[in-house]
Order: sequence, then structure tokens, then C-alpha cells
Amino acid sequence: MTKILLACVGTALAISAQGLDPKTLVHPSADSWPTYNGDYSGKRFSFLRQINKSNVGMLSMAWAFQTDVNTGPGLKSTPLLVDGSLYFTEPDDVWSVDARSGQQNWHYHYHDNEGLHIGQRGLGMYKGHLYFETPDAHLLCLDARSGEVQWDKVLADVKQGYWATMAPLVIRNHVLVGVSGDFNDLHGFIDSLDAETGKLEWRWDALPKPGQPGSETWPANSDAIQHGGGMTWVTGTYDAESNLVYWGTANPNPVMDGSARPGDNLYTCSIVALNPDTGKLAWYFQPSPHDVHDWDAVQTPVIFDGDFHGQPRKLLIQASRNGYLFVLDRTTGKALLSAPYEETNWSSGVDAKGRPVGKTEKYPSPAGTLVEPDAIGATNWMAPSFDPNNGLLFVDTHQSFSLYYAYSTGKPEGFAGRDLTVWSRCYLRAIDYQTGKSRWEHDLGSGWDWSGVLSTAGDLVFSADVHGNVLALDAVTGKTLWHVYGGGPAQGPAITYEIDGRQYLVCGAHGVLYAFALPEGYVSDPLAAAAQAGSVSQRRLRKR
Amino acid sequence: MRTVLVIFLFVPVLLLAQDLDNVSPRQVDSSNVGAGKAQFQQTCGFCHGRDARGASGPDLIRSSLVSHDVNGNLIGPVVHKGRPEKGMPAFQLSDTQISNIAQYLHAQAKVAASVSQRIPSEYPVEKLLVGDAAAGQTYFNGHGNCFSCHSSTGDLAHIASKYKPFDLQTRIAFPSGLQPLLNVKDSSGQTFSGEQVYADEFLVTLRDKSNWVHTWKRNTVRVEVHDPLAAHEQLLKSYTDANLHDLFAYLETLR
Repeated sequence: MTKILLACVGTALAISAQGLDPKTLVHPSADSWPTYNGDYSGKRFSFLRQINKSNVGMLSMAWAFQTDVNTGPGLKSTPLLVDGSLYFTEPDDVWSVDARSGQQNWHYHYHDNEGLHIGQRGLGMYKGHLYFETPDAHLLCLDARSGEVQWDKVLADVKQGYWATMAPLVIRNHVLVGVSGDFNDLHGFIDSLDAETGKLEWRWDALPKPGQPGSETWPANSDAIQHGGGMTWVTGTYDAESNLVYWGTANPNPVMDGSARPGDNLYTCSIVALNPDTGKLAWYFQPSPHDVHDWDAVQTPVIFDGDFHGQPRKLLIQASRNGYLFVLDRTTGKALLSAPYEETNWSSGVDAKGRPVGKTEKYPSPAGTLVEPDAIGATNWMAPSFDPNNGLLFVDTHQSFSLYYAYSTGKPEGFAGRDLTVWSRCYLRAIDYQTGKSRWEHDLGSGWDWSGVLSTAGDLVFSADVHGNVLALDAVTGKTLWHVYGGGPAQGPAITYEIDGRQYLVCGAHGVLYAFALPEGYVSDPLAAAAQAGSVSQRRLRKR
Repeated sequence: MRTVLVIFLFVPVLLLAQDLDNVSPRQVDSSNVGAGKAQFQQTCGFCHGRDARGASGPDLIRSSLVSHDVNGNLIGPVVHKGRPEKGMPAFQLSDTQISNIAQYLHAQAKVAASVSQRIPSEYPVEKLLVGDAAAGQTYFNGHGNCFSCHSSTGDLAHIASKYKPFDLQTRIAFPSGLQPLLNVKDSSGQTFSGEQVYADEFLVTLRDKSNWVHTWKRNTVRVEVHDPLAAHEQLLKSYTDANLHDLFAYLETLR
């Protein structure tokens, strides 16, 4: 009995020691991936280099986890890794699996619901709590030990056409969440909820109220401003030093017919800087004023400190869906560079504020307008990666032509039009943030690629092609060094971590989560590897 | 797979409905919707717009209350009591009349949602016909260089009768469905020719003239690619909107 009691006490201690201390999110350890982007910066860059360009060709499967959810394109979520457990999602499902073996800890299944099941991008975590946005726009708090629901809050009304897909962002004890839904004319917002109780702390509305700053960019005496869109469906980034969160907002509504909403339509298609304690707007920059092509600006606003044209700067960069790279001073929101990183034909240049100027003749029309790129955009939700060692932003891009039609009769509502892609090809681009030009591009095939990118200090870039081949490329040259086909579309973004001295690469393909690693017992000599990168003779295999 | 098929079969029915008259009877009882439309336009249309998209009164397609209503259970009380503080009088309508109006509003919301999701396949040709057929013919035989591969009396004869106008226009922009032709020489020197079935960075697959399918690792063979759409790819990048609309107007005359 005493033994049992001791065992119980021991277990309880072990449990209470687990979970995620939000302070560690500022500098996560190598054996964790505790936020959607791995850290707050959005760089998706790992300093791990056990797997590097001299040995990546030896990567082999460490384990595979079958979700048995094989609908649609499969896994889109970025797993979290905390205390040796991975947590990842599908629209109605959450799993916890052991990061060393792929063995399931638990599985949570949400009830049937009418939300749009278009994807689920991951979780947020605070102490022992996981935060999960459901297709019908609820926020669930789950017990990370068991997957049991601790609370359930409604974020938005599914009946009106809202849904949710994004991974919440945890900052101290705040859980920041965004929502989706542009088939109907709704309004976007970011909510901050108390991590323990789920109580709403603040809401930032993407659409100003009549009379507030920004409202002058909407027509007066109409309901356009209340129904103007601006969803918030991709996780933002956070700078602890300035205590500002950076978040991209989505397109205005009605989407492809802007005739009922003349003006810039703030704060749609914008990058906004908010105080996470109050929700107060510090600054904004608008990549696509008065968008009519569905080119939202939700793409990850990546932050880093670096040299820009000879000056040390606090930077924010976004490869935006409209095909432009924006380099901003993140203390002010002022544009330092606005340059196309992919082919476009819709803009006549940029204005004094660095905002692209749209050609009205490239607006969607009843007869069809030929525009480059299509509405999926030059990139989309797929995560970019910034490699500080090489000064390169890696982006899955999409070169495409599309015919855009605006065909509403009467007052435009919802999409009020659509586009039809007639041609497309995908690339992984290594973009020099000083110019926006590609140092190299890697052809990913014809169609659409959604995989996202991870880069590492091993001079490696991980992504996938349109066929589902997971690729490891040389960060300097773009040359393929390793690939594997996982049996379906590879849209589950890759992460990496090191546990027990072994570096893992984890990514999703269709309904399977895969872990890859160097053969067990492999020991590399980092110095020799660095000196003789790529040389087979320097590889040493040793059994433990 | 069956689920996917069912979705594809159903979606066009749902999505092609541009106008209320085309809303599928599977979704709503069209006679009730028709009656609801007439009742709505007579009683409510003056303030809410004849199509319910708002006038001096609110847009009811975007209404939260309407989205939560089931067969008039929320709409009914508003109609019966009115909203005097907002200037809406009460209307004494029967339960059937309320139910019909509710069905009309739900059908209108469905139409708005369906238009949001897909371009109607029965796209009106008059919307597409904004170009100049004579200018299109000049482009075809001149700057566009179309005549070097196509002929209005040969492969394109009666082309406008073969394709729906919308499909014809998108095929002028870029025709899909033609696979590259491949010549593959393997390590023994044997050559294979046929239509590409699959190609990525690592593998190449073709179907030969005898209908056999062959796959090779790319780094073990030499592959020659003849893409019949290469010229169209160049053309796509040089088209102006006027070129495209003129060409469409011209090809639309080839009936």
C-alpha cells in the first residue's frame, strides 16, 4: 500500500512537472517545437545540424503514425513538441504521440459539426493545456495529459458562415485566436482569451466602426464596413522585446467585386502590430489596398534583426499572396522594400508608402480578365522559412495565370465572382531579402504545392513537390540531396527536434505523420563534416 | 471515393443556381419559395429590397437572425410584432405566409453562397462576347501566329459547336488535357516513345503505342520531351485581355 501511495505521489509529481512554461517560448530548447512556427519569430529555422548536407542522403524512416483520417489532402497541421510528446490535428481530431517512437498517447475526436472542414493547422499550448480551434469556430481547451475537454468557447457563429482552421498563439497567459469565412460577408477579428478560464480579454476588429480611424477607407452610409471581411486565419508572430504581435489579415468582402466598397478597405489585406495585453493597434501596413483578387495578406510575418542595405534593422518580412515581398521596419511598419518575388501582371508599381498600385483593367470582369497570379496567389498559407545564416527567405511559390470573372447581378454579395486557373507551376524560391530576387529556384512541378518550408543550420531546406515527394535541398544551391514519397499529398509542414542526442525530421503526408532520422547509432563528426561536406568517406557508422 | 463522387454529383446542382428559378427542388420546395418570393416582394421588398439584399432596411441575406431561423420560427415573431423602434411596422401574415417567406430567404442565402463557390457552368455567352471578331481573325492569322498550328476550316472547324462558350474561352487562354510526347533512351540504348503518364524530378512514366506503361528512374535514362502546349505557354504570357476577347469573338463565329 505504501508502495502504491509512493507510486501515486511520484506520478503526480511527474505530471505536475510537465507542461509548457510560457516563458520558454521566447527561446525554445532544441528538444521542443512548442509553437506553430517553432518559436515566436516565424523563421521556422532550426540550429540543429546533426542532419546536414553531408549526411542527409542517409535519412531513413524512424517511425510512422497512421491517423486513419484519409479524407482530402490529409495532414496540414504543424505538430507541437513538448516534453517528448507531439500534438497535431485534423479538422475534427487531435492526437498526442510519443516523439521517439510514434506510439499514440491519446486521440481526441470532436463531434460532427457543420463547419467547413478545409484544414486544421495546429495547436497552441500553455502549461498542461492545449488550445484547438474547431471547424465550427469553437475554441477547445484540452488536457494535454489525456485529451479531455476542459472548456469550450464559441468564437464565432458557424450559421453565419464562419469556420476556423488556425493554430492559436499563446503569449504569457493570453491565447490569441483568429477566424475564417469569406463565402459570406462577415467581419474578421482577433480575440485574446485567458489561458486558464477562456474568458475573453479583448477583441481587435479587423473592420473599424464608423467614425473610427480607418473607417474613411470605406463608403459612408452603407453596410459595407460591417460586412467587409478581413479574416485572421494564419497564426501571427511576436516580438517579446517590443511586446508587439504581428498578424496578417485577409481579403475584403464582397471578394471579387469591389464596386460596393470603394476605398482602401482597412484593415483588410493588412499586416497589423498589436499589443497582446490590450489588443491596441500600434501600426499597420496594407500589402493590397482595395483587393479584388482574394489575395489576403495572412502569410506569416517573419521577424528578425539583420542588416538591410548596410544598416542594422529590426525587420519584418512577408512574401505576400499578391506576389510581392515586403520588408518592413517592425518598429514603425514603414516599408523598406516592396518588390515582386514571383511573376505578376496586375500592378503598375508601388506608391510612396510601398504599397502596390493595382491596375483597374486587371479587376475581375463579366467577360473574364487574364491575371497573373490566380486567386490562390503567389503563395498562400504554407509556411515560409528564413535562414539567417544565408540571409534567405525560402517560399513555396506558385506561378499562374487565371481568368477572373465578376458576375453578380444586383448588389454584390459573398465572392461575387470567381477565377479559373488556366496554367500554374510551383517553385521553391530562395529569396534574397535585400532585393526580393531569387538566388535560386527549384521547380516543384505543375499544379499546386502546399507543403511549407523548414530550414536548418545543416544548410538544408525541407519542403515537398506537387506530387508529394518530401525534399531536402541544399540551402545554398537548391540542389536535391534527398527525397521520399509518403504515399500522398505532403502538406504537413516539416519540423525538427533533437531528443536523446538524435535529430528527427517530422512531417505529414496524406494521413500519415512520418519521422525520419539518421540510422540509429550513426555518429557524425561535425568538424570533419564541415570540412568535407558531402564526402562519403567522412561518414562514420558506429553501433552503440 | 464514393463520398467524393456523391459530392461532385451534388455540388454542380447546388452551385450552378445563379437565380432563384434555378434552385434545385432537392433543396427547397420551389412552389413555396415562389409563393414566398411573391409575398416577400409585396410585403417586405420596399424596405429590404426585392431580392432581400437591403434597401432602406437591412440586407436580410447577411442577417444573423435569418441564418438561425428554422421554417419561420425567428422570422415570424419579427414580422408579427414589427420593430417599431427601427421603423418596421407589424404585419399580420399567416403561418403559411411566414413559412413561405422564410423558405424564400433561405433559398436566396443558398444562392448567394453557391455563387460564392464556383463559376456557373452555364455562363451567359453575351457576358463573354465583348471582343471584335474581325480583330480576332487578324490576330489569329497574324501576330498570334495561331495559323501555324490551327486552321478555321480544319481542326477548329465548328469549334464553337463543340464547346460551351465559357469552356471555349478558357481553352483559348490555355487548352488542358494534352500530355507531352516522350522519347526515352534507357541504359542499354533501347528507345521508347509515347505519351507521358507521369513525370516528376525522379521518375518518368510513359504509355507506348502498344498501350504498355513503362517507368524509369530519371537518372538512369535520357528523356526527350516534346510538349505540344509549349507554344500556348508562350502565347499565354503575351496575351492582352483584348487579344483573348477578340479571339473568343472570332472562334465563337466558327459554328
